[in-house]
Amino acid sequence: MSDKPRKFKGGVHPNDSKALSSRKAIKEAPLFDSYKVIMHQNIGAPPELVVKKGDTVKKGGLLAKAGGFMSVPLHAPTSGTIKAIDKVPGPTGISVPCIEITSDGEDEWGSPFEPISDWQTADPAELKQRIWDAGIVGMGGAGFPVHVKLSPPEGKTIDTLIINGAECEPYLTADHRLMLEQAEEVVLGVAILVRILGLKTGVIGVENNKPDAIEALNKVAGKYNITVQSLPVNYPQGAERQLIYSITGREVPVGKLPMDVNCVVQNVATAAAVTEAVLKGQPSIERVTTVTGKPLVDPGNWKLRIGTPISKTIELAGGITEQPAKLLLGGPMMGIAQSSLDVTVMKNTSGVLLIAQDEVSQYTSEPCIRCGRCVDCCPMQILPATISQAVENKRFDWAEKLNVMACIECGSCSYSCPSHRPLNQQFKRAKVEIRAGLRKKG
Amino acid sequence: MSIAVIAIIAVGVLGALLGIIIGIVAKVFAVETDERIERVGELLPGANCGGCGYAGCADFAKSVVSETATPDQCPVCSKEDVQAIADYLGIVAEEKEKKVALVRCSGDIPNTVRSLYNGVRDCRSAVLVAGGAKGCDYGCLGFGSCAEACPFGAIEIRKGLAVVHKELCVGCENCVAACPKELIVMVPEAATTHVYCNSPEKGAAKRKVCKTACIACRKCVKASGEEDHMEIDGFLIRTNYENAPGPELVEAAGCPTTALRVDTLHAEGAYEGVTK
Amino acid sequence: MLSEFLVITIGAILVNNFVLSKFLGICPFLGVSKKLDTALGMSGAVIFVMTLASLVSSLINQFLLVPMKLQFLQTLVFIVVIASLVQLVEIMLQKLSAKLYDSLGIFLPLITTNCAVLGCVVLNAKSAPESIQSTWYGATIYGFCSALGFALALILFSSLREKLDLANVPEAFEGTAISLVTAGILAMAFLGFSGLV
Repeated sequence: MSDKPRKFKGGVHPNDSKALSSRKAIKEAPLFDSYKVIMHQNIGAPPELVVKKGDTVKKGGLLAKAGGFMSVPLHAPTSGTIKAIDKVPGPTGISVPCIEITSDGEDEWGSPFEPISDWQTADPAELKQRIWDAGIVGMGGAGFPVHVKLSPPEGKTIDTLIINGAECEPYLTADHRLMLEQAEEVVLGVAILVRILGLKTGVIGVENNKPDAIEALNKVAGKYNITVQSLPVNYPQGAERQLIYSITGREVPVGKLPMDVNCVVQNVATAAAVTEAVLKGQPSIERVTTVTGKPLVDPGNWKLRIGTPISKTIELAGGITEQPAKLLLGGPMMGIAQSSLDVTVMKNTSGVLLIAQDEVSQYTSEPCIRCGRCVDCCPMQILPATISQAVENKRFDWAEKLNVMACIECGSCSYSCPSHRPLNQQFKRAKVEIRAGLRKKG
Repeated sequence: MSIAVIAIIAVGVLGALLGIIIGIVAKVFAVETDERIERVGELLPGANCGGCGYAGCADFAKSVVSETATPDQCPVCSKEDVQAIADYLGIVAEEKEKKVALVRCSGDIPNTVRSLYNGVRDCRSAVLVAGGAKGCDYGCLGFGSCAEACPFGAIEIRKGLAVVHKELCVGCENCVAACPKELIVMVPEAATTHVYCNSPEKGAAKRKVCKTACIACRKCVKASGEEDHMEIDGFLIRTNYENAPGPELVEAAGCPTTALRVDTLHAEGAYEGVTK
Repeated sequence: MLSEFLVITIGAILVNNFVLSKFLGICPFLGVSKKLDTALGMSGAVIFVMTLASLVSSLINQFLLVPMKLQFLQTLVFIVVIASLVQLVEIMLQKLSAKLYDSLGIFLPLITTNCAVLGCVVLNAKSAPESIQSTWYGATIYGFCSALGFALALILFSSLREKLDLANVPEAFEGTAISLVTAGILAMAFLGFSGLV
């Protein structure tokens, strides 16, 4: 591992606006009256409900059990009664089933499992089982079940564990604060993951605009034989493929997974959740989320329980000073615009972002002027301009030939386009159509 | 011999020689063609809409002649056309009820809650962003993917809502596949009265986002009395197409949200949402 | 001798390109250039017909028309020869490659009246250098190279048009208009080869 990381090709440098919340310490959110926990929080199969309306649950109690290997269980964020199995608007805008819990105010702890304090000698399989039981998913955004990544299939070996602390999305500071304030927990989590994978060391990659976090991590990293790698600031540094390239120099082929180049990538928040699950016996029911944006009175970072409505988080941040134009879950580059305040915090909600009227570009898209900026900044080195023209003409076969499937939907092209073309959305469309076409072919 | 005679003989011999060669080659390389395929192709509409499931009219004609398909599988042909093909081939045509497309939504822009959206103006792209930025998850987005898919120009986008002009619809079902919300169904052409709503949500939730949603008040069910004109499907009423009601039911039922409509009047834009 | 044929080759393909500098054979050039696949098929057919027509009509010219002093019949005889040849190609293609036959469609009979073919044959007989006019192999090579030039122009143009399909063209220029503009620009580009030989 060299001290000087490689620089991946492409990328953009948007105004990061992290100053709004990067100096605000993580605050514990108060107990709310009710939580609406969205059922399906992971990539893969949805979990199976084990409670019914009227049941009482303890904080940390099981709400739903894993519905298969590619699935994780769901736990109660607080103690109380199940008010209803209802529907709420999901993060993608479509209504999704949720479990509504009315809090009893006691917040009584009832974790389904005991802490494993001797993790250094414990069986790795037991540790992995604990991570699954605790319902931990990738907390960086995708929500990929962690135990699946830790179980490479027959014939694949893992030699590098990379922990993603890049936090390249503008505005978001949740991971930054977590690394700064709970450095020991993060590093411990990495050490546990290292033990499960049977490796010697792991690397935490952090963008160098967070020197305080790098320093905090370095203080404890040596104790557990973990390396901290400072990375240049370049969006999308935190994207899996780009991070792997920056740290190891390996390129993940299109259509392959990090494990195909012997790597596993996890988020720092995931590492912290692993520590809590193993050492404290606490399932994944809360996470640090950045609630930020210019229209908010007091942007900051909060420890929120899953199922907290977004409207409550905005109240936590002091309310709004002006009518925002957009509400995003996640950062401005890859976050998803919301049409309702009833959306609730999920295990992978890294940020709640309000965007002011004067910050939103309401341009209509214009024809491509072939300036090539999108080609320059595409981290996957495909040709966004040409592909978007193919998609506009519904020529998905062309788009496929031009490798649209390699697109990681980072949004750098849309960000850099002077004609304000909705490139990213067109690629999403093309991918959906091509996948549908493949399914039809069988 | 004069030059003229030489010229005539030379050209004549050359022509005869070439003619003989072509004649021989045509015999050697003869290809058997079935003229019936061509004839059936002429009788078909020739729009190549693909509604029959074959790659265009010529392909369908081939299948009809080889008896792997029946002429009535063409959704565009009128009864007379089907009969003409059947008569030509000497087979018996089957009777088929003509169906037309129905967009089961009445939520146009004045009557629905929509978020600001300035992405790609295309339904299948729009659903990828917050489900299409419409308050109702099930309603018509109105970017016209179906209208674009219709080779017969039977779908109009009016105030952000797809409206089928029944008289132009031939029933090729291209629009059914184009709609990402699966809103479009094929209904018998004879049916006139439909419920223009497809949201299975509870009435109160629907009213919040749409003024013309079916709230399942069952007035239309009651108004049809003994007759089994309407079906109840959860929080939604649907027309029973086995026993479709006439247009007089709309008047009789007095639908409080105008979700129950007569198709021709709907196509003319005669209905407006009811504000409470 | 060899260098002379090299000059003929380059001249026929690039400098005196049949489509782009002699403006012969514009009809198939515009008609069959929407898709690269059909353009390739058409190019193949034209190469075949043009080479064969050059050979046959050169033989007829040298051994029939010139000795009998019937040069005034050249155009008439050549048309008959080309028409028969195209008919032959069509019959054989239908049997041998039904797919190619379907994709070429109505353009195959169009080779009959393709002025590129007749033009090539007439040039061979009348205004070409002595080495082409008087030898059957010279005429064949010239016919073949001219056909290659035609194929090059057609394939280039069809590739351009496939890309053009994706572009946002102003409404007034959509379709044939922009195709003609593109063809014009392509012809101008080929002017760059003048003076090469």
